[in-house]
Amino acid sequence: MSTASAHHPKLQHHFVSMDQQFDASKLGMWLFLITEILLFSGMFVAYTVYRVWHPEVFEALSGALDWRLGGVNTLVLLASSFTVAASIHHIQNDNRKGLVRNVILTIIFAGVFMFIKYLEYSGKFSHGVFPGEAYAPFGDHYGHYADVPYAPQFFSIYFVMTGIHGVHVLVGMGIFAWLAFRGARGDFSSEYYTPVELSGLYWHLVDIIWIFLFPLLYLI
Amino acid sequence: MRTLVGVFSGLIVLTILTVVTSRIDLGILNVPLALTIAIGKASLVVLFFMALKWDNRVNGIVLLLGVLFVSIFLIFTLFDTAFRGDLSNVDDTTIMDMEREMTGGDAAADHSEDGSAAAPADH
Amino acid sequence: MSVATATTEIPGKQVTYLNHEKSIKSWLLTLDHKRIGLLYMSTIVVVFLAAGILALLVRIELMSPGRTIVDAQTYNQFFSLHGILMVFLFIVPSVPAILGNFIMPIQLGAIDVAFPRLNLASYYIYMVGGVLVVAAMLLGQIDTGWTFYTPYSSRLGAPIIFMTLAIFIAGFSSILTGINFIVTIHKMRAPGLTWNRLPLFVWSIYATSIVQVLATPVIGITMLLLLLEKTLGIGIFDPALGGDPILFQHFFWFYSHPAVYIMILPAFGIISDLMGTFSRHEVMGYKFVALSSVAIAFLGFLVWGHHMFVSGQSAVSSIVFSLITYLIGIPTGVKVINWVGTMYKGSVSLKTPMLYALSFLFLFSIGGFTGVMLGVLGVDIHLHDTYFVVAHFHYVMMGGTVVALIGGLHYWWPKITGKMYNETAGRIACALIFIGFNVTFFTQFVLGTKGMPRRYYDYQPQYADLHALSTYGSWILAAGLFLVLFTFIHSLMRGAAAPSNPWGGASLEWTHTSSPPSPHNFDEQPIVTHGPYDYHHYYHGDGQSAEAELAPPSKA
Repeated sequence: MSTASAHHPKLQHHFVSMDQQFDASKLGMWLFLITEILLFSGMFVAYTVYRVWHPEVFEALSGALDWRLGGVNTLVLLASSFTVAASIHHIQNDNRKGLVRNVILTIIFAGVFMFIKYLEYSGKFSHGVFPGEAYAPFGDHYGHYADVPYAPQFFSIYFVMTGIHGVHVLVGMGIFAWLAFRGARGDFSSEYYTPVELSGLYWHLVDIIWIFLFPLLYLI
Repeated sequence: MRTLVGVFSGLIVLTILTVVTSRIDLGILNVPLALTIAIGKASLVVLFFMALKWDNRVNGIVLLLGVLFVSIFLIFTLFDTAFRGDLSNVDDTTIMDMEREMTGGDAAADHSEDGSAAAPADH
Repeated sequence: MSVATATTEIPGKQVTYLNHEKSIKSWLLTLDHKRIGLLYMSTIVVVFLAAGILALLVRIELMSPGRTIVDAQTYNQFFSLHGILMVFLFIVPSVPAILGNFIMPIQLGAIDVAFPRLNLASYYIYMVGGVLVVAAMLLGQIDTGWTFYTPYSSRLGAPIIFMTLAIFIAGFSSILTGINFIVTIHKMRAPGLTWNRLPLFVWSIYATSIVQVLATPVIGITMLLLLLEKTLGIGIFDPALGGDPILFQHFFWFYSHPAVYIMILPAFGIISDLMGTFSRHEVMGYKFVALSSVAIAFLGFLVWGHHMFVSGQSAVSSIVFSLITYLIGIPTGVKVINWVGTMYKGSVSLKTPMLYALSFLFLFSIGGFTGVMLGVLGVDIHLHDTYFVVAHFHYVMMGGTVVALIGGLHYWWPKITGKMYNETAGRIACALIFIGFNVTFFTQFVLGTKGMPRRYYDYQPQYADLHALSTYGSWILAAGLFLVLFTFIHSLMRGAAAPSNPWGGASLEWTHTSSPPSPHNFDEQPIVTHGPYDYHHYYHGDGQSAEAELAPPSKA
């Protein structure tokens, strides 16, 4: 981001410099991130309210979720966050191959995360654990939760929270596929990597949301 | 790059720590400890992966603003839900309880020991 | 602003943002903030007309007890759609999307907003939301009011799905506009334009945008949960499934109370600019007025529970919310006092925009004071869900925001279109609106204190006279609004060409651009050396603005 970049082809006409353009985009992204935080905050508030009302239900039901799968997913998502940070580090040093490699790794980690999520969801659906009124659990692991009052609330909150989070992961995978394509085409350099930086910020936020979801839902 | 690797290792350690501590019953400390570790992990991600430590201060203020308003949302909602019915002019029974009584279902009786009796009383 | 040269005008030859490209595509896919502002204006005017006509129909239905023109179900749908259209598609986007888009970047000395493509996207996202609202309307059966309280709303038929989606999507438009404006104000200011030299309109748009960014996501998740409650029965809000309907109200008002500040804060900004320019006097207490906008934006998040005093929420929260509600009166009072102070020893010129500003001062003060009354717990128990609340709300929203919007449109009309409007018609319209508004809504204060509940289709005969009076008032009000529309259309067709600075304003849009502005706003990057209300720089020095209409205040 030197002043020599003043006539960079990616400089839009209404900005004075690449620096101004980069700073503006980044501020915009941070503002977008807090809208994401507030979007999720609704779910966290619902979680807290019901937990304060029915602590024993939430404590018991966190046992219904497999902490091993959740834990592995946490590590997978942390690894993907690391590869994203690494990809930005590489492009800042004009290492395009490093960028593309790490972005593809990120997509793979995200894919693993979604696959494990799929295993968890299908395991619950096959035992009648659905969000909302369709909730009718049966079988070894879930059957005894059938008549626990406010258990449907717990699972609804679980499905909605992880569901919205999962949608964000899917969107992130799409974005990273696009980044990998553009990176391979050679669109980015240490002079211009705004899309990588912004997508990275988005991805870290998705990771942070999961950092909170994991203990709240699976552990405590 | 070395910082990134270090932060990543720290995050893995904290994840293992939160799982291990959750396996042990610490009583009242369970929830605060898990949340503290989560906040620690989130701070690591924000400061180093998102590079807020070296970034323009405005971006940090924006993030804190978001956190502040989430807390406002949470705390002010709890002002109501945690004290619901403090005027004692509200019936404790919920529609759910009434329906359960009306159907007189055995299902309701089955677990009245573990959950349903205690739960509505919290309102 | 040191070099007080406004672009010289060569009528007929001038290249402006209006005529440099002419195809329909150049309008529909424009990235120019000025053209996007006009796209918003055309759509929002249509929404206002539709929702206004619904309001007139509601008033006619209420003219006499029992059935007057429609049945109860239709009446419920009419007032619900009136509220939904007015709140989500008219008044939330109105001032920021029209005047914020058009004027704010010019006042900053910027060529455009920070993200022009995002700006266009916001418009089309807003349109998608609008189309979904119309779809839900045509499918019928939305009779929830604009608040969508559960469990009634979550058990309605399919149209509620469209409606919640519409609000969800329109919210995105609002968020993106907010982000765009905050970044623009932070990063796109002209050299020398420090925070202390920003026009107060910019300050108010800034505060509004912060609220938009922080509050709107919550209505998004609320609508999403409502949608899931309706489709899956997730049991968060529906008491029959173990949910808590009051929790829905918390979620809803966490957005919707700050949202009323999204609606009124930009109006404050307009009024500050009008007061300064038409008093030819620096706005008193500039920093207080600027920061009070930010204070209101912040406090606005802490008071949502005053909508829920009789909902069954805990007494603890009622007391907390009631106390904080009083605090809002402080920054608001700071503003009103400073506006009045601005006129003191100023050279007040009663042009149409100033008449609207004075109407605003009067109407908004009534709206504000009755707001404090409603914030008092004991009083609210009596007045809740009566016409008193309806009157209060309309005094703030219509008497406040809409009056300020119309005043602002008159003020910036010469800049936007390059045409002057008929001053006499403008003043008559303002008088009609002022009279009609008071007849319509002051009556409703009386109705409310006498116990007339809001939203009712039928009522006791003792309320009939006042209801009829309110309906007559609505016709005067409508006549005034149509006269405004007529004045503007007439101006477009027959209006005299506007000079670049007809009012002798001192902010960049008057001093450094032509009317209408050129496609890139400025011929050269403006450099700012003094504040936005330093009129003496123009009053004595520059010929152009001295010859501008600075006639001695006439009687109105």
